[in-house]
Amino acid sequence: MAHSHAVKRYSGLMDWLTTVDHKKIGILYFLAGGIFFLIGGLEALLIRIQLMFPDNQIFIGGTYNQILTMHGTTMIFLAAMPLLFGFMNAIVPLQIGARDVAFPFLNSLGFWLFVFGGLLLNLSWFLGGAPDAGWTAYAPLSSDTSLRGVDFYAMGLQIAGLGTLIGGINFLVTIINMRAPGMTFMRMPMFTWTSFVTSVLILFAFPAVTVGLVELTFDRLFDGNFFNVSKGGNEVLWEHIFWIFGHPEVYILILPAFGIISEVVSTFSRKRLFGYSSMVFATLLIGFLSFMVWVHHMFTTGLGPVANGIFAVATMAIAVPTGIKIFNWLFTMWGGQIIFNSSNLWAIAFIPTFVMGGMTGVMLAVPPADFQYHDSYFVVAHFHYVIVGGLIFGIFSGFYYWWPKMFGRMLHEGLGQLNFWTFMIGFHLTFFPQHFLGLMGMPRRVFTYETGVQLEMGNMASSIGAFLMGIGTIAFVLNIIITALKPKNAPADPWDGRSLEWSIPSPAPEYNFKQTPLVRGLDAFWKEKRAGNKEMTPAEPIGSIHMPSPTILPFFMSVGLFIAGFGFMYAKYDFENGLLATLFGNHIIAIIGLVITFLCMFLRSVYDDHGWHIEPEELEDKGVKA
Amino acid sequence: MSEQQHTSSPSGRHRLEGPKNHYITYIASILLTMLAFAAVMYLGLDKMFLVIFLVGMAIVQAVLQLAVWMHMKERDHVYPIIGIAFGAFVAIGGFMAAIFWMWW
Repeated sequence: MAHSHAVKRYSGLMDWLTTVDHKKIGILYFLAGGIFFLIGGLEALLIRIQLMFPDNQIFIGGTYNQILTMHGTTMIFLAAMPLLFGFMNAIVPLQIGARDVAFPFLNSLGFWLFVFGGLLLNLSWFLGGAPDAGWTAYAPLSSDTSLRGVDFYAMGLQIAGLGTLIGGINFLVTIINMRAPGMTFMRMPMFTWTSFVTSVLILFAFPAVTVGLVELTFDRLFDGNFFNVSKGGNEVLWEHIFWIFGHPEVYILILPAFGIISEVVSTFSRKRLFGYSSMVFATLLIGFLSFMVWVHHMFTTGLGPVANGIFAVATMAIAVPTGIKIFNWLFTMWGGQIIFNSSNLWAIAFIPTFVMGGMTGVMLAVPPADFQYHDSYFVVAHFHYVIVGGLIFGIFSGFYYWWPKMFGRMLHEGLGQLNFWTFMIGFHLTFFPQHFLGLMGMPRRVFTYETGVQLEMGNMASSIGAFLMGIGTIAFVLNIIITALKPKNAPADPWDGRSLEWSIPSPAPEYNFKQTPLVRGLDAFWKEKRAGNKEMTPAEPIGSIHMPSPTILPFFMSVGLFIAGFGFMYAKYDFENGLLATLFGNHIIAIIGLVITFLCMFLRSVYDDHGWHIEPEELEDKGVKA
Repeated sequence: MSEQQHTSSPSGRHRLEGPKNHYITYIASILLTMLAFAAVMYLGLDKMFLVIFLVGMAIVQAVLQLAVWMHMKERDHVYPIIGIAFGAFVAIGGFMAAIFWMWW
């Protein structure tokens, strides 16, 4: 049966560039997303330095707009999304008892597209100025071509967005098709459920932003008129398209964090998750409702009282499933043996913080009140409470929880506590005063304020808090470095875990499961442990394991689109150099880039790669024990 | 062969039909498109009739594409059917609302 193809095994850098292993791609997502998180955090600190004192003159006007736009864009698209994809890659296949994702090649392609999209976006700093129209890039601000920064926004996010769409489809197919025998939908761990719903949202939300970015690109680079009112276009079109994407996008971000919190709270309370089926129902309902609330970002656009009223009610309805989740977490902890380690501290801090963000959300959903809050620091406080206090707390919690499974080493608990307390206190110090700054009339996205209007104290507190968050992040980076220097000796099941990923060694071997496990209930591994079994019951005899071959093609496909992006952007520039003018002006660079991508696609189609096998004898040699 | 093991297709539920239906719809699509062009270019029809005719042709094309190429007529394709229905709901609902507000 087994093919005995000789497979090329790479090592070192080539191994990472060519890998199609979901665990390694997960680590790559963490690395790239982490670097972008640090860049975005640095931009946040620059914003807070400028706003520390009234009438400050450090980053003013256009420079401030660039920093602010890049902070938002980087944090949402290049830090939060990849970190979540990192968790989905590293954990979901392990939780459903699969040996890999459904499409390992596409997984790698999605990652490299994101990297090169993000790289293109950030190169704008060195190539004439970054995008400066806000992360929402509303037209006509974004269709003004006197500065070229927004070109990078349109091209970079288009390339990165392709990667996200590919990743979402991959996880949909993986979760539908690759669950271990016995793992029905209602036996899937909560993190897998939320990843599933997030993938559905990606599949339906990202096409909207793809269309919007294509239209923006055509307006800016090819003399299109989608958003040009004088030629019959409509600026409100961008707002609709952006928020039809943008609202599901924020649920794409928060749902996996909900999943992580569910896993952590349940494990460290040593109880099964309270109300599992209502959790699943609430997740699905939040996902469904997320597509019919986008107008609440546009209450002040002037769509009329009926539209505003309908969308206000729909928005408030989302508080119901979210409330179900909050109560379920509280009841999970109720009467449990709660362990207060750094992972669980993040999860416990998440709950009240997210409730505060959700409460201001419902306040903003009331149109007459929203006319007062709109574009003020109140909104900034609200979305940082849900994104940092929700998503980033969830991501930190997940790191402390799954680090042993992903890297084979336990993160240091003391530094973890330092990271938690400084970041958590810093977070509330930064964003809590911003509610009041907003109510006192401080507008968002404005680079200065006057003395004597009582905004000094709140802004100073906010800036001090931001530096405290910076210290917390440094503690986490230190923790990673110190942990990486220690030997790989994490136990397979350090937390007395409940789901399948804890039934295999830490870090997970290349093939994940020597034998596909048989799942006999929710919290599959916990159930086996309660029944007195040391490991999962296998669902198949030991046999040779089919593995996908590593490949460099996804990397070059993404390089091709990266080059093509520059080719299209620079076609409109005036060059002193005659050769450059010819190359870019006639789209030759763009064509070269596209040819590279299509050549890689051709090669992928023509050469049939059957992969390779790990034989049972090799499995024994590697000494696999649960 | 080894590919088959790992994709674990639920064999037995699919009847093998071959590509016959795909050929037929492909040719039908081309013919319908040619008919649409011809109607505009040569037949000299009334403008209102032409609009209704073209939209009708578009609907026929869409149904053919969905039924054959997107596997909508096969009964055990539950996930694709849910997916396409939800996608249609999002697209039609969202864009109808947006168009209604912007251009009506």
